[in-house]
Amino acid sequence: MDGIIGRSLARVLLALLVFVAIVPIAWTALGAFKQLKDIVTPVPKLLFSPTLTNFVTILENPSIRDGLKNSAIVVSVSVLIGTLLGVPAAYTVSRRLRHWRDDMQFFVLSLRFMPPVAVAMPFIVIYLDLGVYDTLGGLIVVYLVTTISTIVWLAVPAFDRVPREIEEAATMEGCGEAEVFWRFSLPIAAPSLFGALVFTFVLVWNELLLALTLAARNATLPVVAASITSLGKEVPWGVINAATVVLVMPPLIFIGLLMGLLNAMVGARSN
Amino acid sequence: MSRQRFVFATLAPAIAILAAIALASTAGAVWFSLMNRTLRSPAYKFVGIYNFERLFRDPRFYNALEISALWEMITVVGALAVATALAVLTVETVKSALWRNVISFAFLAPVLLPRVAAAFIWRFLYSPSLGLVNYLIGLTGAGPVEFLADPHLALYAVAAVDIWQWGLFFAVILMKLLETLPREPLEAAMLDHASRWEIHAYITLPMLRGPIVSLALVKAVESLRSFDLIFVMTGGGPGVSTETLDLYAYQVGVNLGGRISYASAMAILLLIVTNVIFAIVWRRVKTWTV
Amino acid sequence: MASIVCSGISKSYGGVSVIENLDLEIPDHEFVVFLGPSGCGKSTMLRMIAGLEEVTSGKIAIGSNDVTHKPAGERGVAMVFQSYALYPHMSVAENITFGLRRQGVARAEIEKRLSEVSGVLGLQPFLDRRPKNLSGGQQQRVAMARAMIKTPRVFLFDEPLSNLDAKLRERLRTEIRKTHLALKTTTIFVTHDQLEAMTIADRIVLMRAGRIEQQGTPDEIFEKPATRFVADFVGSPAMNFCRARIARNGAAVKAVAESFAFDLPSANFSELAEGREVELGLPPWRIDRADAAESNSIGGVVVLVENFGDRGQVIVDVTGAEMSFVTKQFRDLPRGAAVSFAIAPQHIHVFDPVTGQSLRQACAT
Repeated sequence: MDGIIGRSLARVLLALLVFVAIVPIAWTALGAFKQLKDIVTPVPKLLFSPTLTNFVTILENPSIRDGLKNSAIVVSVSVLIGTLLGVPAAYTVSRRLRHWRDDMQFFVLSLRFMPPVAVAMPFIVIYLDLGVYDTLGGLIVVYLVTTISTIVWLAVPAFDRVPREIEEAATMEGCGEAEVFWRFSLPIAAPSLFGALVFTFVLVWNELLLALTLAARNATLPVVAASITSLGKEVPWGVINAATVVLVMPPLIFIGLLMGLLNAMVGARSN
Repeated sequence: MSRQRFVFATLAPAIAILAAIALASTAGAVWFSLMNRTLRSPAYKFVGIYNFERLFRDPRFYNALEISALWEMITVVGALAVATALAVLTVETVKSALWRNVISFAFLAPVLLPRVAAAFIWRFLYSPSLGLVNYLIGLTGAGPVEFLADPHLALYAVAAVDIWQWGLFFAVILMKLLETLPREPLEAAMLDHASRWEIHAYITLPMLRGPIVSLALVKAVESLRSFDLIFVMTGGGPGVSTETLDLYAYQVGVNLGGRISYASAMAILLLIVTNVIFAIVWRRVKTWTV
Repeated sequence: MASIVCSGISKSYGGVSVIENLDLEIPDHEFVVFLGPSGCGKSTMLRMIAGLEEVTSGKIAIGSNDVTHKPAGERGVAMVFQSYALYPHMSVAENITFGLRRQGVARAEIEKRLSEVSGVLGLQPFLDRRPKNLSGGQQQRVAMARAMIKTPRVFLFDEPLSNLDAKLRERLRTEIRKTHLALKTTTIFVTHDQLEAMTIADRIVLMRAGRIEQQGTPDEIFEKPATRFVADFVGSPAMNFCRARIARNGAAVKAVAESFAFDLPSANFSELAEGREVELGLPPWRIDRADAAESNSIGGVVVLVENFGDRGQVIVDVTGAEMSFVTKQFRDLPRGAAVSFAIAPQHIHVFDPVTGQSLRQACAT
């Protein structure tokens, strides 16, 4: 495979694959700005007069707006609680549970990978019986399994990477358990923890099945988006594309905001 | 705060909640599967293993099992094959760190998309009349291909999307791993006049056997949760050609008359299968990473 | 400043005992080095004194306080870690002053001590930097400053120089010694490097497999090894060992083997019986070239000569076994040449071949 021809062939192949990776996304984003007539052409158009009507339709649609609001509430709350409970737990698993550590990780991970169906089905009935079916609170509770287990799973290695000797040095300077965690382990592990947080946020934001089954009317955004596609024959592709863009935006914004926040915090500390 | 109290205070809330919910759903699923509850009527009675018996006589269940198994194989093997080939290709073809980062970013984009969004994007692309893919196929003179409407093609078409997201992502991971391999064995091989491909086949890839197996196993577990993708792309159709187990369970439990108990029985089976696979995964991954 | 007394210290992990019933006394102001091969328990002992490891049984007292069950922060000890363990998210100044700030010491006092300590260790230009922007040697000095600023009763060093290159290690070794001479704080220094131990210790505690093999001043350890293990561990090049048998002729004591017959000072070995099997330790630095006719000489064939600059190590094959000695006249010895060398009787060590104990008796004088 060496030789000029081999190498250029490889380059072409690679370029093609990069294309395949990006183009679908770019195309959709492009399509969000197209009027329907520009989309329905047999030959795909690259040049067209862009319009924002699709976005307007989306954002004016009350169920989309509600969906956005519900998603924001449910995901933020469950991630917040997940972090408050999960991060300290992960620290303890990493530092103090020498013997049960692997078992803990197994337990946590097996929950993370539990098929959502297995959770959704029984909880439909449980919630119906309890009268909390179709509430945001009910959804948050169920999402806690995902958020806590994912955060613990990802945070334990983050705390593993904090050198033991630094914590020992802090102990020797008189710090108690909680102080070592709060003042040293947490700040040092913060960048990785941040990654875990973002991952969990995105994970729950995109979650469909549980939301679909447990909160049909107080729907979160993915559910609303999914329901758009089952609209009749005249499939509003422009609107759907715009919906896709809207679907993707919040996690990106969240990531961007948190990164900015983290940079600001790190910057402030070094002064 | 004393060590004991600290450990308890930090662990107890998290574990309590996890255990409670996990217990509730497992116990609930078992309980309901032994009844004949439906969402329509509040009346129900104990029916023992009736649901399970019906399940084992249900051809649609077996179809769902078959589709799930097929899905697992295609996506896992596909993703890993694509990932390995792509990682090797990139590492061999692109030497500059800058370009490698650019390519990594490109390959990471698909997996960052929510499943639903990816589903939408590709539904659009696959569309026989409006999609880019069929346009490109049309350029070669072949007729439009009904990717999602053809029962023979649908599963593969959806699997392609899954591989698009995960295969490219894993390629980036493998690329990073390839970069961190110690150089000396490779240099020794080059001094032995090994060709590029021999080096990869006999040295670098075997060295990465551990991570590759781990990734395959992670993918295997992840593929079991592919509801989002399939639901939005095909809803299980055409017919039942893309109806995996979790889709069937959903249809039964929520759509077709809300036969919750039947769905619970299926959920239990799925739970057992997942746990078994996961236990195997866990043990394997442990030996590779120790 | 305080003395340290460890009584009956035992430590086990799970069911495995690593240290059994160890007693140790370290008087105030002393610079003690825990020396030994890896796994001998020296770091474990240090960490138990620091409070980072639980003592399975026994008592540790620092000064007049029983600290066996006190948390690490309340023992009045400061520790310098092998990996320096600097806080990466704080500046050098913040690293050094953290302990004092935490205790609520007055700002002015902290500033004063900080400038003293950073002056002594040459850290003034680095106070605002982050640890990751410092070299290894600079990081080590920050770790020392962090320990010194708290004026503890005891300094503990856990192989602090192992990660540094040879030249830097020498320099910092001297710094640590000078600091001790100035502050006179009781210090325990752990290392596996016998040369390091010899140069900085007031007293060496040589450990092996959880027990104290020998403790004493560097001279005592060097000149009068209590066991074969100590003789083998300390000194460079490594000690020569060979088997021999005691031959008595009235008061005279000789150690005899196939290729040599050595006189031994009778005052030290008068109790050794005729025919007793012994193991001799012959320090290479006490052997020199000699005529074959001289007493206490031994001959052999040169295998290799290593050039140390002003001296050379000559490795000789003596009837099948290899011995080495150090001499200034090594330049005219080609491979294969026959050479004779001798050792004075008072420098020969005699050990029991089974127990390894030294058979030297203390003189009656």
